Amino acid sequence: MKKYVCKICGYIYDEANEKVKFDDLPDDWKCPLCGAPKSMFQLLEEESENIKEKNIENNPVVEEDMREMTYGELSALCSNLSRGCEKQYLSRESELFKKLSDYYDKKSKEKNEDNYNIDALIDKINNDLETNYKKAREISEKEKDRGALRIITWGEKVTLILKSLLTSYQSKGEDSFKDKKIYVCDICGFIYVGNEVPSICPICKVPSFKILEIGKEVR
Amino acid sequence: MKTQKIRAVRNLRLCSKDCLCLYVCPTGATDTETGQIDFQKCIGCGKCAMACPAGAISMVPYQYPKQQEKSNRVVQRLNTVLKSKVEQEHIAYQLYQNSSSQVEKQFLKAIIRSNRLLAEDTVREAGYMLPQSRNTHEFLKPLLDSKEEDFPKDIVNELLEILECNES
Repeated sequence: MKKYVCKICGYIYDEANEKVKFDDLPDDWKCPLCGAPKSMFQLLEEESENIKEKNIENNPVVEEDMREMTYGELSALCSNLSRGCEKQYLSRESELFKKLSDYYDKKSKEKNEDNYNIDALIDKINNDLETNYKKAREISEKEKDRGALRIITWGEKVTLILKSLLTSYQSKGEDSFKDKKIYVCDICGFIYVGNEVPSICPICKVPSFKILEIGKEVR
Repeated sequence: MKTQKIRAVRNLRLCSKDCLCLYVCPTGATDTETGQIDFQKCIGCGKCAMACPAGAISMVPYQYPKQQEKSNRVVQRLNTVLKSKVEQEHIAYQLYQNSSSQVEKQFLKAIIRSNRLLAEDTVREAGYMLPQSRNTHEFLKPLLDSKEEDFPKDIVNELLEILECNES
């Protein structure tokens, strides 16, 4: 009897309590708690292996001295500050940062490219999972920066979900979303595809009223 | 500038409309057409927060403490993540623009939103937690020298004027 754990929400599939062996579950089986696909589960004993894997190279951080931010980054910085002001009930300040964010967003969208495909997204996601998050985690652990570790933990999980959704979309096309709704957690960015939204977000644990449906495009 | 240190704010989702705050408020600040407290009238006495049976009113300071220091190494690493998430938002947006499928557009919209939220949260942990921080002010000031003709300097000017800086 084996146990498998969901990498997103921590749900445990314990074969001792189930009628079906994990390997015999259908490919489209989903985590009953958060809706993550079967591929997001790992054998529970494997966890100790992960820790060994953590001695990633100890190379010094490449000095990326005060680099200029891109329009897109400036837009995200300003929309973050807008949300910060909103949380403090500073409505005018929030509105102004939002306008600044929209200005930069428009600038960033002026640059129009049409040579992208889904693979370009998956490449970036793989690089995040294999390199960017790992290095960020290593440094944050050394510095004992738990705030940074929080966004790294949430971000890695959201990115894993994105990867599995994109991979499924590549192989099954629009059938991946047939008769299903799409939601995004407005706090951490978790994407849920299905019809039973979890009562709390499996990643950041916010109650479901902050998990918002993404409407269909109206023509 | 306000001389008092704190003010009341109402969480509209928690408010159960028991209206005890209206009876105890000495200045009428809790009774407004928007549902939010009138911050101009609020004197920060805290009576409404004590009376509220739903716990919907809390007292918040005008001056926030200095935000947590971030090490350069952590900031650099988080900036790498930020860059990647912003690029993914951009790719998803381009795909969205060029897609003609309703369902695919809906999916891409979710990806755009998700990446934007990740980017915002990452930059927040990379030194931009508090709008009143020195970092924010030092980010805003040089924007006034922008060479872009359509840059909205009036917005930056107003922000620098009304947004307090809690680090000298």
